[in-house]
Amino acid sequence: MSTSSAGWRLERRLDVSAARSVGTRTAGVVVAVLGALAVFQLTGRSAPDIAGESIKGTFGNWSNFQETLIILTPILICAVAVALGFRIRVWNIGVEGQFLMGGWAATGVGLKVGGPQWLQLLLMALAGMAAGALWVLVPALLKAYFDVNEVITTLLLTFVAQQMLVWFSTDIWKDRVAAVTNASERVNAKLPGFFGSTTLNWGFLVPVVLVIVMFVVFRSSRWGYEVEMTGGNPRAAEFAGIPVKRRIVGVMMLSGAVAGLGGMIQLTGAVHRLSVSFSNQYGFFGFIVAALAGASALALLLVGLFIAFLLRSGIAAQTRGLSVALMFAVCGMILLIVGVAEIATRYRLSRAAPEPMAPVPQEAKMSNTHFASAQEPA
Amino acid sequence: MSGVTGTACAVRLRGITKRFDRLLALDAVDLDLRRGEVHALLGENGAGKTTLMNILAGLYRADSGSIELGGEQVSLRGPGEAIAHGVGMVHQHFKLVETMTVAENLHFGWDDTPVLTSRRQLADRADELSRQFGITVDPRARIWQLSVGEQQRVEILRTLARGAQVLILDEPTAVLTDAEADELFAILRNLVSEGRTVVFISHKLREVKAVSDRVTVLRGGRVVGSCDTADVSVRELGTMMTGAESVVVARSASSACGEVVAELVGVSATSNRGLPALRAIDVSVRGGEIVGVAGVSGNGQSELAEVITGLRRVEAGKVLIAGKDVTGRPPAQFSGAGVGHMPEDRIGMALVASASVRRNAVLRHYRGNALSSRLSLRRGAVRGFADDLVRQARVQVRNAAAPIAQLSGGNQQRLVAHREALVAEKLLVAVHPTRGLDVHAAAEVDQALLDRRNAGCGVLLISDDLEEILRLADRVVVMYDGQIRGEFAADAADRQRIGMLMGGQDEESA
Repeated sequence: MSTSSAGWRLERRLDVSAARSVGTRTAGVVVAVLGALAVFQLTGRSAPDIAGESIKGTFGNWSNFQETLIILTPILICAVAVALGFRIRVWNIGVEGQFLMGGWAATGVGLKVGGPQWLQLLLMALAGMAAGALWVLVPALLKAYFDVNEVITTLLLTFVAQQMLVWFSTDIWKDRVAAVTNASERVNAKLPGFFGSTTLNWGFLVPVVLVIVMFVVFRSSRWGYEVEMTGGNPRAAEFAGIPVKRRIVGVMMLSGAVAGLGGMIQLTGAVHRLSVSFSNQYGFFGFIVAALAGASALALLLVGLFIAFLLRSGIAAQTRGLSVALMFAVCGMILLIVGVAEIATRYRLSRAAPEPMAPVPQEAKMSNTHFASAQEPA
Repeated sequence: MSGVTGTACAVRLRGITKRFDRLLALDAVDLDLRRGEVHALLGENGAGKTTLMNILAGLYRADSGSIELGGEQVSLRGPGEAIAHGVGMVHQHFKLVETMTVAENLHFGWDDTPVLTSRRQLADRADELSRQFGITVDPRARIWQLSVGEQQRVEILRTLARGAQVLILDEPTAVLTDAEADELFAILRNLVSEGRTVVFISHKLREVKAVSDRVTVLRGGRVVGSCDTADVSVRELGTMMTGAESVVVARSASSACGEVVAELVGVSATSNRGLPALRAIDVSVRGGEIVGVAGVSGNGQSELAEVITGLRRVEAGKVLIAGKDVTGRPPAQFSGAGVGHMPEDRIGMALVASASVRRNAVLRHYRGNALSSRLSLRRGAVRGFADDLVRQARVQVRNAAAPIAQLSGGNQQRLVAHREALVAEKLLVAVHPTRGLDVHAAAEVDQALLDRRNAGCGVLLISDDLEEILRLADRVVVMYDGQIRGEFAADAADRQRIGMLMGGQDEESA
């Protein structure tokens, strides 16, 4: 750590209040959105019009809102999967891959196994969850037993999953009859419509239920308590006799299973075929939602809704000759700004007596020390 | 001690004072270092040796006091300026890049390194340095391939290459084997014969006696004395280091000792670095007594605590808790058998900083039927248990649902002490239990240990604070180099003998 001649320096805050943390995230979102609107305005489009249309197109009426919920469903399921991992300080970046494999397994069951529709759906859900869980099994074992970074392993397996999808939807399960390109045959089992709606199905309630279940589990289950303590401090968990490695593997597989279930819901609720464009990067959007929402269940729902709104706006903005990719860029900006601001809130600028290397207080060393140098008094 | 002893003063420190928050680490310390001498800085942990030298090496700034180098008053604003003035320090933890070669490590961050260079040129230059200072290193070896002793030589050579006339070594032998230490001493003698000054920080009496020309003893941030090493005996040094005041035992000795509650039989274990840390050690603790383990830290005390609580694997020997062999069992079985543990690193091991005070309070007990069923926590019971514990331990807390990281160290330790006391039906292991605490918190933690003892539980108190041990323990054992070197009843504890044994000195004459 170096000090400028004026004697200003960064000092670590020992505690960051919840209000400050929420404020930071909100500010990040606002700045990124304003930035995007400014770009629209500067390139000769009317920013207020675009904003107005976006809101109308997303929340304006029931039919538009149903479309939003359709997009929200897979994003939110993936967000729950990521948030689960966060509880034990695991970054499952590969939810996208587990989501795809869940869709893949569900398609397989849907195409090959007959029976009454309810049974088919049940089996597809189980297959999707199993596929998601198994897809993350190897990274989980590597993480728990050999301390291999799960960010890399889960992310790379996503690309493998993507290629699996290409292979199966353009070759093995390819629909050679209907005039669809690069997609499997249609899977007939589908989720029932929400009170007879042809757009919306009951699937959108799945992530809501998951969020509630997760909230309850971490508030009052023994397992949830053990996971929280392990995530907070694995050494203390071991000290207390919690089976740390088993908890890590368990949480990661559960995370994969949730993502896999998301794939099954996406298949049976929205797209009905396995295809190259099965997922619209929902896993990664889920990651953004979880990262922004932090540990709060309610925030997960709100942020999910916001990201779904952005994506829908992107689709609506296409009518004005804008690309959907713009919304991806906005999401990226939000994540970046919030990420930087998040770290910034842990510090404050203070004017102190010049001292080249001050000892870092014990408390500051317990978690990640971004800028702190670890000098200790004798 | 032979050697050219110049009289010219290389370093003159006057009235150096340094505070860390409320702790007065150095109190108006004066120190003179002459050219051509090995000057030992002797003292227990926390005496201020390293802090003083960190100030001389430009890492810390003194709150007040002056530094004179070669007769000229200087103000050192960083390690770079110190080395420019010819003062260099080799720290206990080496600052080398493990994946790079010796030659590369010698050269990086050095103004004399040629701008355009080659591996071969760097190696040649390293060879030249090695010859010039008489320190053997292999320039092409990578750091991770070297033994600790060899790495230390690289550090010394790097410091010398940058023009150090005053070389400070912080506990240089702590990581060395005896043979390596002897090699190091030869290097140091050679350096001072060329007129340099070496500061040798140590707490080992034998080494100080063997290698130094003069010695300055620090205790509690003050200079106790400074003299020619030849003029003092090892015994006198030991007394200077630990203090000679008579022991005042402010409490009744343990009346009745019960059954043996914990026993280590011939236990050996290795440290995290894979070096032998415990060497066939025998320790036993009875119910109703406090056994104090004295010793300078790093002599196997941490490993002892971990072995007796089941956290560290035993290489040989047996661990018995309440007469039952629990060798190799998981830690949960130790706590199940009634072993509580206050680890030295409370925030790193005993607590989950990000979790609430309540959730931390039940960390040891949440599995019990009172607090949870197989699946779910009984939230009301958890709250009741935690709030009772907080009250009992007199933890000052505004909001028990807030993260425990927000509590002061004293309040955290109060909670840990009382939580572990509940676990400890048979044995309570307390490691540096009052380190860093204010007087009130320390007294309460001490009281918690005494209460446990009076309830018939055995207490193993590990501390490098001799005062604390003499105040609390019914029996004192001294650890040195992974072995028990001596044992005293509390009323027969001989401070001088303990000081000698802590410094690895068995015989008075040696």
